[in-house]
Amino acid sequence: MKFKEILRKITGNHEVSLALILVLMFIVVDILAGGTFHSGTNIADIFRNNALTLVMSLGMLLVLLTGGIDISITGVLAFSGMSIGLLMKNHVLDSIPLVPRCILLFIIAIAIGSCCGLINGFIIAKGKVSPIICTLGAMYVWRGMAYIISNSAWASAADVAGYSDFGKDGSVGPYIILAAAFIVFFILMKWTGFGRKVYAIGSNKEAAAISGINVDRVQIAVYTIMGSLAGLAGALSVSIYASAQPTMQTGTEMDVIAACVIGGVSMSGGRGTVLGTLLGGIFYAIVYKALPLVGLESIWQNLIKGVIILGVVIINVVTQRMMKRRNLARREI
Amino acid sequence: MAGKSGRSISAVPERSPLRRIVSWEGALVLIFIGVLVMGRIMSASFTAENVLREMPKYLSEILIALPMGFILIMGEIDISVGSVVCLSATMATFAGNAGLPFIVVVLICLLTGVACGALNGFILTRWPELPPMIVTLGTQIIFRGIAEVSLGAGGSASYTNSADLAGLGSKVGPFPIAFFVVIIAAAIYIVVLAKTTFGRKLYAIGSNRVAASYAGIKVGKIRFIVYTLAGLMASMCALFILTTTYGVNTTTGQNYEMDVIAMCVFGGIATTGGKGNLIGALIAGFTIVCLRIALSIKNVNDQLILIIIGLLLIISVLISSITQSDKFKKMALKRAEEKARAKAGAAEGQPEKQPDDKTE
Amino acid sequence: MKKRLICLVLGALMLLSMFAACQPGIDKSQASYALVTKSAGNPYNEKEAEGFEAVMKAVGVKAGNYIIRHPEAPTVDAQIKVIDSLISQGVSAIAIAANDANALSAKLQEAKAAGIKIVTLDSDVAPADRLTFCNQAGVQQVAQALVDAVYDIAGGEGEYAILSATSQATNQNAWIDAMKAIAAADAKYSKLTLVEVAYGDDENQKSTDQTQALLAKYPNLKVICAPTTVGIAAAAKVLQDKKSPVKLTGLGLPSEMAAYIGDDADHSCPYMFLWNPIDLGKLAAYASIALVNGDITGKVGDTFTAGDMENSPYTLTAVAGAESYSEIILGQPFKFDSGNIAEWAKIY
Repeated sequence: MKFKEILRKITGNHEVSLALILVLMFIVVDILAGGTFHSGTNIADIFRNNALTLVMSLGMLLVLLTGGIDISITGVLAFSGMSIGLLMKNHVLDSIPLVPRCILLFIIAIAIGSCCGLINGFIIAKGKVSPIICTLGAMYVWRGMAYIISNSAWASAADVAGYSDFGKDGSVGPYIILAAAFIVFFILMKWTGFGRKVYAIGSNKEAAAISGINVDRVQIAVYTIMGSLAGLAGALSVSIYASAQPTMQTGTEMDVIAACVIGGVSMSGGRGTVLGTLLGGIFYAIVYKALPLVGLESIWQNLIKGVIILGVVIINVVTQRMMKRRNLARREI
Repeated sequence: MAGKSGRSISAVPERSPLRRIVSWEGALVLIFIGVLVMGRIMSASFTAENVLREMPKYLSEILIALPMGFILIMGEIDISVGSVVCLSATMATFAGNAGLPFIVVVLICLLTGVACGALNGFILTRWPELPPMIVTLGTQIIFRGIAEVSLGAGGSASYTNSADLAGLGSKVGPFPIAFFVVIIAAAIYIVVLAKTTFGRKLYAIGSNRVAASYAGIKVGKIRFIVYTLAGLMASMCALFILTTTYGVNTTTGQNYEMDVIAMCVFGGIATTGGKGNLIGALIAGFTIVCLRIALSIKNVNDQLILIIIGLLLIISVLISSITQSDKFKKMALKRAEEKARAKAGAAEGQPEKQPDDKTE
Repeated sequence: MKKRLICLVLGALMLLSMFAACQPGIDKSQASYALVTKSAGNPYNEKEAEGFEAVMKAVGVKAGNYIIRHPEAPTVDAQIKVIDSLISQGVSAIAIAANDANALSAKLQEAKAAGIKIVTLDSDVAPADRLTFCNQAGVQQVAQALVDAVYDIAGGEGEYAILSATSQATNQNAWIDAMKAIAAADAKYSKLTLVEVAYGDDENQKSTDQTQALLAKYPNLKVICAPTTVGIAAAAKVLQDKKSPVKLTGLGLPSEMAAYIGDDADHSCPYMFLWNPIDLGKLAAYASIALVNGDITGKVGDTFTAGDMENSPYTLTAVAGAESYSEIILGQPFKFDSGNIAEWAKIY
């Protein structure tokens, strides 16, 4: 009886069942990769290589919770990353000592991202434009801006020397940012009025408005936060890869959205947690990291990736249905 | 029911013939003409002949815009169409290179598309709680993945027997065959959407899915049909793409979904569902195509072209959304009332004081 | 109000087109030349364009008569749109760095039918679809240099891996195939084992993942060879950060690789190769001009002078395996090491 109780709890809680799938997958990959997967450096690499996706998935969580979507994030990432890359390439801030300079560059990137997000939020909230359209247009605009300001040049490793030490392999920088971001968002979503408002809007916009929540303002805030995280990801990207390119992270917005959905965030709004998002992000990170490791031929990797994503999403729905049915059956008894 | 009219600039309830012209579709026609005039002024190379010659590449995307319009009207989305194009083109190339007759090649291509679309439809109707965007993201990766695996290490294949394709890519008078196909397909889709119960059911599902299913509409069946249609049209697109390439590679059809969605949205179809029509999408499609051709002939930086299209998208939606806002509607209503009162006054024999203000 | 809104849309449209209107058009009394690179956003392509433009200016082609287009994405689709537009404008010659060997065929044939001279550079198409190909360095020479580099850095024996761009990158595939053939043919290389060809899709994150996977999978790995500019920079970063004993070589841009090249343990790449992309652009420009002027017809054995370029005059040589078609070889791949990297990093 007790075992059944535990089983019910596991299948009943999305985060727990996802965590179980993750552990299972981790073990399978570890066996396939000959025991190299559970090493400390490998786990550290997983987080470092996917720090961008993980950071942005937090913003996407907020956006999805309000029932919106933002597909302009990688455009914003490229624009902000390219901007600070060019600042370094052209030695604009060289008179400032290294540490404050790096902090300033991060702040600049985040500020650029926030502005982009603010514009999105304003058009969506005040202009009543549907989020996917607004951010589709914005995606073209910001990505195009990144190309145009770069003039097809990259900021190379030599240009960003010093700054890139922050995201260097072995530096704790990216992990601190990741940890801080997740803790802040965990608190924000769990214990603050803002978090409750976001959930309220996602569940029922009209009801939220009637109950006195300023829906427009919350929406603008949400997209601005998304933008600032995309800007932060831009700064991180330049630091981690020691290079700023206008093409960076093209197409990963879909990875971010998929990570959230796998983590149990509903695309129609109102449902999803920071913990789930973290697990979804880690799931994605493990898939990315594992595919080249397990001895698959390269050309099969995309196909397998697609199957895994679709499979997990479907399994998720199936287990939820089973659970509902079981709960219903119990009630009838 | 949320009307069949597209994104309407005219916010006043009754629609006189004049107002119909200044509806969103009317505005689109004006913009379309504006683009043509602008293109002609900007470059002497922007001739009808050149535009028609360049069109097949873009026309094939309009083919996908038609079923995408259906999907968006249902309030859903399909981002796998670009990959379906790639996979269908791959299969057609293999079939063609195996020496099969061209009609068989066409059939294989279309069947591949139908199969892909049906798979999307099956997954989405079997588990209706799944978000279409994520499912089609998954199949997007899978379809392209299958193409990658079948194309093998080179990732690219040449359609060796290109004479058949050249026939399909040829012209009747100044018009490429693709042009007629688009017009015929568009006519069918427009009629289906506007005049049949099937079309009305799409609007019903997009407006309120739960209500629609209570009203006896078989939501699952309709969704399955529409997603299968999207696959079919994507494979038709693939055929015409092949006529412009004589070959296929793993990037064929990349990002078509975004281009196509942009056309629909610019044409007045709301992604929230239940609103818009295909006439708008068709005109919008041609407008974007001509704009791109015009800017490209002027050798505008290719990234700048994307920025312009992005801005155009946001601005157009923003304008129509402002005009549809409650505040604006109230204003317009008030004005209409005033006008009616003034008219009534005039009828009573009083001199008309108000200037003839049609639009302000 | 409605009319005003429509005017607003139209006005915005017109305003945007002002960007375009300020560019000069083609003067039909003179020949006109176009360069189509692989895509925007890569300095390698920009440098090709730089060389092309320099020649055009030097020989006195009017500003509107040479056109440089970087397609919006590194795909065939984007290049087809550009070629279509160039056919409409009626240019005399198109020099193109092909994104795919097969799928440009239809458009290039159409351009040929319109009387446009087609030259490829950097990355070739099917030889029948173009008149000649400006080859940055013979496939054999590049492959030989890379194999020798691997042999040298590995100390004559051991495991090595290749990190390529995408599976359909024409150049990379040709080089890798030639490398395999060279390594198999000569007993000298018999102690070298190629363990894997990985693809990083020319994306930072994917190249990083692939490099880390290679390190984890093959503990005895000695050398990674990355014949792609994005891949080599990403791999260099991984190896250097990890202070890995695995060394790197390949093809990379000196300006992007300056931080990683050096002989000591702190640098991951002892040396690498490339040709001068500026010169490649120049060569394509001169070849286009020579074709349009009728100095050459694309036949094997034709010669033409190329201004002040190092190896001028150039001779069209036969393509290996398709002897009736020609190519122009720019020169030998150039070696970048700790001695000359600082100097070249400033140039490209």
